[in-house]
Amino acid sequence: MSSLRNAIPRKAHKERAQPQARKRFGLLEKHKDYVARATAFHKKEETLRRLKEKAASRNPDEFYFGMIKSKTVNGVHRPQSEANKYTQEELLLMKTQDIGYILQKAQSEKKKIEKLTATLHSLDGRPSSKHIYFAEDREEAKEIRSRSSENKMASTSVDIPDYIKRKIASSYRELEARKNRANQLEKIHMDMALQKELQKKGRKRKLREDEIVCPTTKPVFKWRSERKR
Amino acid sequence: MRPSMSRGVAGHGRGAFRAQNNAGRGGRGGGAFRAQNNAGRGLGVRGRGRGGGRGGANGRGGMRGGNKAVIIPHRHEGVFIAKSKDDALVTKSMVPGDSVYNEKRITVQNEDGAKVEYRVWNPFRSKLGAAIQEGIDNIWIAPGARVLYLGAASGTSVSHVSDIVGPTGVVYAVEFSQRSGRDLVNMAKKRANVIPIIEDARHPSKYRMLVGMVDVIFSDVAQPDQARILALNAAYFLKTGGHFVLSIKANCIDSTLPAGKVYDSEVDRLRADLLKPAEMVTLDRFERDHACVVGSYRVPKKQKTAA
Repeated sequence: MSSLRNAIPRKAHKERAQPQARKRFGLLEKHKDYVARATAFHKKEETLRRLKEKAASRNPDEFYFGMIKSKTVNGVHRPQSEANKYTQEELLLMKTQDIGYILQKAQSEKKKIEKLTATLHSLDGRPSSKHIYFAEDREEAKEIRSRSSENKMASTSVDIPDYIKRKIASSYRELEARKNRANQLEKIHMDMALQKELQKKGRKRKLREDEIVCPTTKPVFKWRSERKR
Repeated sequence: MRPSMSRGVAGHGRGAFRAQNNAGRGGRGGGAFRAQNNAGRGLGVRGRGRGGGRGGANGRGGMRGGNKAVIIPHRHEGVFIAKSKDDALVTKSMVPGDSVYNEKRITVQNEDGAKVEYRVWNPFRSKLGAAIQEGIDNIWIAPGARVLYLGAASGTSVSHVSDIVGPTGVVYAVEFSQRSGRDLVNMAKKRANVIPIIEDARHPSKYRMLVGMVDVIFSDVAQPDQARILALNAAYFLKTGGHFVLSIKANCIDSTLPAGKVYDSEVDRLRADLLKPAEMVTLDRFERDHACVVGSYRVPKKQKTAA
């Protein structure tokens, strides 16, 4: 039966829009919009009901330390400050562990770069290094010069399928990304190591800009030499 | 269609080798393959990393996308370029299924189903590989050549030289250190064309009975008197008009001078010993303060043409 009904083109159903006069109320609400609105409302209602029930069946003898350690200021919850939660030694230990993790990540990244560069030789780029030819006399020099310019023209241009080209390009992108990451990790590691050294004992001071021997943008510290027995 | 590469390995097709796929292929690349096939002899390629290949179907060239790697002959005979996920210099392995220093291998299948394996040549671990990367004109090490390799170390580069010269050539690998000599000997056990010699390269008379006349001497000894060592060995073994490839580590010769000056002084020393340098490349991209000099030995004086 339904196939017969499908054979005749049906009249297109037109949805009712918000009348021009009620335009200020926004889009016309449809039944499915109402359902979404109503379920959200009932959910909130239910939450309120449960909270009220909990308050009603409260145990007046219940006690937690949080009740006396924290308080509300103008209705805002203020937990007690945790400034001295850890001792100096504990903090130092935690920081060294962080450094260890960063160092490990930097090393693994370097290993991966090594592995990638072993198989990615950037063969299409022109060699960047110096290439020197030795000639006995002027004639030979001229000959070599003409030969080398010929060589440069004739490059190996075998057509490689597109999908392999894409793979190679993505490999090079990965290598570049890993190099960046290794650089960043190295920088972070240097920073953390400096912070750790600064926390240790020993008199030191930050050098002024005119005292720095090799120019850097980073701060440079100098320790007072201390005689050790 | 055929590219301008005149040299290929004897017994193998020239031009790019591609994978063959017996089953229905995707339309993309299929036409290219056929066209390539008409130009040279197409070879089936199946890229593979370490360990077993993916998928069991060995007869078919890889996955749905078709071939995974393309092997192109390099300008230097016996050296190839593999284009797959990697973009690497490779040599055709003499001993398929064996990695010498954990290098990556790429297996290739040609039309009749025979497998050819290529090994990736890491330029960071081989000065010869680095020199090729830097675009040196001639390495003179080619299929069928007899090569004297001074300073063979563990035989990582030697294995690639042995791949290049193939079964018709021979490599005499000289190394003084017992420890790395052990690795060298182990490598040579599997390669018939490598003759390991654990001797001091300063005294070629000690191994003169083992080494015949050679076409090329490759020297990577990193000693202050390396030019002299090369000249001594050339006097014993290198044929007239033969060639040498010398790798210079500036730090080992004089660490106080700038690298450029050290290279110049070495080149002058070579000239004094009948070794005529032809070209030099610096390998700074791969090793700091290294250079590679290529030249010829006892070349006949050029006749002066009438001016």
